[in-house]
Amino acid sequence: MDIKQRFENIVGTKYVSDGLGERYIYSFDMTENPPRKPLLIVMPSTVEEDKKIIELANETLPPLVPFVTGQNVGGLTIPQVEGAVIVDLKRMDKILEVDEEAMYMVIEPGVTFGHVKRHLDKHHPTLRYTYPLAPPYTSVLANALVQGLCDLSTTHGSMTDFINGLEAVLPTGEVVRVGTSIMGDGNWFARYPLPDLVGLFSGWQGMTGIVTKIALKLWPKKKFEGFAALFTFGEHATTHLIKKIARSGISEDLDSQSLSIIKMLLKVPYPVKHFDGEPDYGTVIGYTANSEIELNEKFRQLQELVDTAKEDDPRIVLIPWPTVVKLMGDQANEWIDFPSDAFKVLAEHDGLTWVGTYIHPKHWGTALDGGRKIVEKYGFELMAFMKPLNILHIAEFKFIFRFPKDEETIDRVRKCCEELLDFALSLGALPYKTPIWSAKKVQKLADPAFFELARKIKKLLDPNNIMNPGRLDL
Amino acid sequence: MTEISPMEEWLYSCIRCGNCKYVFKGYAPSCPSGEYFNFESYFASGRLWIAHGIQKGELDWDPSLIDPIFSCTTCGNCEVQCLAPHREHIVEMIEELRHLAVKKIGALPAHQKFAERIESNHNPYGAEHHARTLVQEHSLPNMASIVYFIGCTSNYRENEIRDSTISILQKAGVDFTIVDEHCCGSPLLRTGQVDEVTELAEHNRTEIQHTGAKIVITSCSGCYRTLIKDYNRLGLELDVEVVHISQFIRELINEGKLILKKSFEPLQVTYHDPCHLARHMGEYEAPRDVLNFLPVDFVEMDEIRESAWCCGAGGGCKAAYPEWSLETAKTRIEHAVETEASTLVSTCPFCKRGLADANNDSMEIIDLCELVDRLS
Ligand SMILES: Cc1cc2nc3c(=O)[nH]c(=O)nc-3n(C[C@H](O)[C@H](O)[C@H](O)COP(=O)(O)OP(=O)(O)OC[C@H]3O[C@@H](n4cnc5c(N)ncnc54)[C@H](O)[C@@H]3O)c2cc1C
Ligand code: SF4
Ligand code: SF4
Repeated sequence: MDIKQRFENIVGTKYVSDGLGERYIYSFDMTENPPRKPLLIVMPSTVEEDKKIIELANETLPPLVPFVTGQNVGGLTIPQVEGAVIVDLKRMDKILEVDEEAMYMVIEPGVTFGHVKRHLDKHHPTLRYTYPLAPPYTSVLANALVQGLCDLSTTHGSMTDFINGLEAVLPTGEVVRVGTSIMGDGNWFARYPLPDLVGLFSGWQGMTGIVTKIALKLWPKKKFEGFAALFTFGEHATTHLIKKIARSGISEDLDSQSLSIIKMLLKVPYPVKHFDGEPDYGTVIGYTANSEIELNEKFRQLQELVDTAKEDDPRIVLIPWPTVVKLMGDQANEWIDFPSDAFKVLAEHDGLTWVGTYIHPKHWGTALDGGRKIVEKYGFELMAFMKPLNILHIAEFKFIFRFPKDEETIDRVRKCCEELLDFALSLGALPYKTPIWSAKKVQKLADPAFFELARKIKKLLDPNNIMNPGRLDL
Repeated sequence: MTEISPMEEWLYSCIRCGNCKYVFKGYAPSCPSGEYFNFESYFASGRLWIAHGIQKGELDWDPSLIDPIFSCTTCGNCEVQCLAPHREHIVEMIEELRHLAVKKIGALPAHQKFAERIESNHNPYGAEHHARTLVQEHSLPNMASIVYFIGCTSNYRENEIRDSTISILQKAGVDFTIVDEHCCGSPLLRTGQVDEVTELAEHNRTEIQHTGAKIVITSCSGCYRTLIKDYNRLGLELDVEVVHISQFIRELINEGKLILKKSFEPLQVTYHDPCHLARHMGEYEAPRDVLNFLPVDFVEMDEIRESAWCCGAGGGCKAAYPEWSLETAKTRIEHAVETEASTLVSTCPFCKRGLADANNDSMEIIDLCELVDRLS
């Protein structure tokens, strides 16, 4: 019996394909990372099937690449070795539990942000999750595993910080749980005490098993919410003011970006240029409160911080949201209602990539200033994204590129990204959702003991190296 | 085909963001193909990327490409949900890809039969051609201001749609006739067999011209789209106004030419938007206006208008992928059942067929013409 038939015996013939079309489509993503065709694609729908797939892989040794929608913007689902089997998990798409009291949900890999939003709005309207500026139909579980940044990250950190626990099929076939659910179902309320083994799966890009369930924190929706838009000039002045606002704790979400992105939302055609005299950055500031008095007070405090900054640069403006809506129309509300709905500005071409890092807040302004010069040198649109995380323990430093995937542009994108990353690494930044090319660069500079440890853990968990081998260049 | 190839024009456009997989902000599934076959290759983006791969020489023609290319109802729901600049051209690109596939690999056997039967019998069912005998049967004139273009499915399968349309037109005293129509070409256009259509279009144009008519009415959404949009693309404008029967009935009622029953029927109806009339041609209102005139209770399903779930029959899929087509229709019937309506109304004989085949007596499935005829 050939390997395809053996996979078919596990999931059924309808859910295995080695067709040329499927192998081609799963061989690349939207980024510049080089493609590689898998051997076949298999689509399980239960934990039992995942387990059998892993057991078969241990016996016959095709590498397995977990996949949900492949939109990680880092080439993370592109096989790194020949003969790989893509394990497309989108059929595992159940929201298994929402616990209103301990405020968490338990979901399967195929559940998307759109579906979580719909489910919560309909059945648990007092609770919310954290939403990215990503297309609405990307995996919530995968984004938590790859440390994504969403609209509650300024307050609560990356999505990995939302994980209460998970269930996974290990590369050797055992099904394990970590977190308080080891005491049984309906008990996914915390990640600790005991060793924090979530770390065996987060940031590993599918190298340590197939995560089959994840419990994620939800948050109460406050009664009142307000938004404002802040327009600022210069990299250092902007990050200085954003830091002050973040540390004040007034704002739940601070979403800062190059003005070009706002212009894209206003339908300025590609390529969007920056003009002298325009503000350099626009920041959407979200804040919530239990009463209108508290909400107004928060805005007053915000205004006060901005007024102080205006003493140095009177061009800075803070615009209350109703005025933004008048200027931008309904699009403005789309952005704040569900950030995913505003991702459309990134869908101009078939190519999209970014250099996204976590950086020490002290280097934020310098990074942004240097990064901007690099991006301008290569002639790309200015699309910086930055967000303070966990109030301000971490700063996000990221430049995004939308581009047509022709050879010349891909080449230019690669060079620009490399230069940007070299610069960020020189400031001690670390790339997240780390593509292989950037993992290689990190390994050249970082403490080798860390990667040695990572290799040891990988070997221990996955002696046959069947789970997404080659990632992080381990 | 248009002169500028849509595949060429939009080569660097689909980012594979997956937005086309679900109704934007509604989050219900939008693509019947992807929903059933699951692999990324069966969503709009998969098809666009297969086109991309072929165009760039990264993908060779191979029989395994047939299913992802042809198992698409061309329903156009993806076009509504996609937010990228190429969104209005997705179905065009899929049809262009099919045209290329037919040239390189050949048409699917089920689709090839359409072509053979159309050639021998002028309709894709291989039924005995008889359009003109209806003229004698209904004592219709040779010359008239209006032509009723019946369409093959109404004429050879869902006859009650044809008969109720004729009845409505006669009740309203409309000066119309029927021509020796050949298949409009829709089944060929949707399945990549484009080259055969010009002859059909030319025949139909000549037949219509001979009657001196200025208006063509059709009770088939597929014909409606083809006679307007596709004939135009092929440079074969009919030089007449093409009207869908729902639009015509609305006019007849508005002008007081068709008198409706006054007594209220204890009937709850819901309406299914046929892709070819609605998304492809933008006609959402006329059928609803007519339903609102009728003495019945009209309730809407959740997925309607631009985001309506397809019945699963179009794009040659009922013939080539009957199981999937049936599943898709079943889903639509479930949507209708949720409204608690007793009757599911459509405005396309092909939708009626597809939905009726999937129906397990949970609903009455009829065409708007039948309902109007019953209530006038
Ligand atoms: C236009 C655009 C904008 C975006 N903006 C944001 C943003 O603002 N913030 C943000 O955080 N993200 C953003 N993203 C990224 C994206 O939303 C996430 O990375 C995504 O949610 C991950 O889901 P996926 O379905 O793409 O996962 P995939 O790409 O399929 O998988 C991601 C990784 O997880 C692994 N994996 C998947 N499932 C499992 C499993 N069950 N077990 C173990 N490993 C697994 C895969 O092997 C891979 O390494 C954006 C993406 C796009 C295209
Ligand atoms: S067709 Fe449109 S919505 Fe679908 S993946 Fe491509 S760009 Fe996204
Ligand atoms: S036309 Fe319909 S079936 Fe075809 S890809 Fe688009 S949504 Fe899917």
